Amino acid sequence: MHEFSRTSQIVEAVLSEAEKQGATKLIEVQLEIGDLTFLGFDQVKFAYKILTNKTIAHDSKLTIKRIPGRGNCNSCSYDGPLSYLDDPQFHISFPTFNCPQCGKPLSISAGRECVIKRIRIRK
Amino acid sequence: MTYTVQGERGEIFDIELDENLKRANELIADENRKQLRNHGIRAIDVMGSVGSGKTSLIEQLVLLLRGRYRIAAFKGDLTTRIDSERLASLGIQTVQINTGRECHLDANLVKKALRKVDLSALDLVFIENVGNLICPADFPLGSDTRVVVVSVTEGPYMVVKHPFIFVDADVAVINKIDLAGPMNVDANRLAKDVRSINAKTSVVLTNCRTGQGVDQVASALGVGPV
Repeated sequence: MHEFSRTSQIVEAVLSEAEKQGATKLIEVQLEIGDLTFLGFDQVKFAYKILTNKTIAHDSKLTIKRIPGRGNCNSCSYDGPLSYLDDPQFHISFPTFNCPQCGKPLSISAGRECVIKRIRIRK
Repeated sequence: MTYTVQGERGEIFDIELDENLKRANELIADENRKQLRNHGIRAIDVMGSVGSGKTSLIEQLVLLLRGRYRIAAFKGDLTTRIDSERLASLGIQTVQINTGRECHLDANLVKKALRKVDLSALDLVFIENVGNLICPADFPLGSDTRVVVVSVTEGPYMVVKHPFIFVDADVAVINKIDLAGPMNVDANRLAKDVRSINAKTSVVLTNCRTGQGVDQVASALGVGPV
């Protein structure tokens, strides 16, 4: 959901940074997107391709690193990946926000990101 | 001896950005939260599926609590003022937020709505999101508490199919329990599904047409009879 609007924000931000740096060409953009967001990578890549057309980012490479969900537990000091409920009737396994060790609620520490990590440009 | 190097034309550079794209909404949500706190106002974000009974829940909560709190309701919908007029008839301040084509409220729309009401004359604000179990999860509004409403008429899998909406849910309301029999849906199973996704979420079964269970919702929200 919202891949096109998020990707417009991304393209706007990277083009403005590239311009500030005096780039003649934007070669690569590296993103980090969390598992708990609703951004589908294929749709982000598709939107990116369309939105960068006729800009200095045309034909640039878009790399997306997936950030798995993590959480920490205040009750038993667990700090690690979320556990997933596996039910064969669903196509994807879905996360639980409870501690895999003690069952108490976790504080989510990773998995909700949508970050532009770095860009690679040619001056 | 100090050497200086610098990039030249045609060379390739890596630039660290670390720019968080969700920050724009989060910053406004923080502003909203601060503004509400400064006025001593509790804000409750009511999310849930289309037709699950979000407005009915707010109606019942207003009837229960209007003697004790000065209440306003912000009502998100793509279009029409039907629900905000329905809530205004209960004698509270209401703001209709029409998103046009957007499937969720965002912090900026709530910020604009906050400008329309007299904050000094309020203790409690209900913010009813657009009916949707997906997108609102990604857009915090600045509320203190988030409620998710689902109903038995949506079938037995509404909770497990939308786990992400429960990440920040403080209270889950399983509504229309009077129809559980005819629908052949086990309301307790839906409640159990919520707990298995997020043990932090308190679950209350309701019938918002009659008000059954609404006092327990108020207690779970920390605004009602304990």
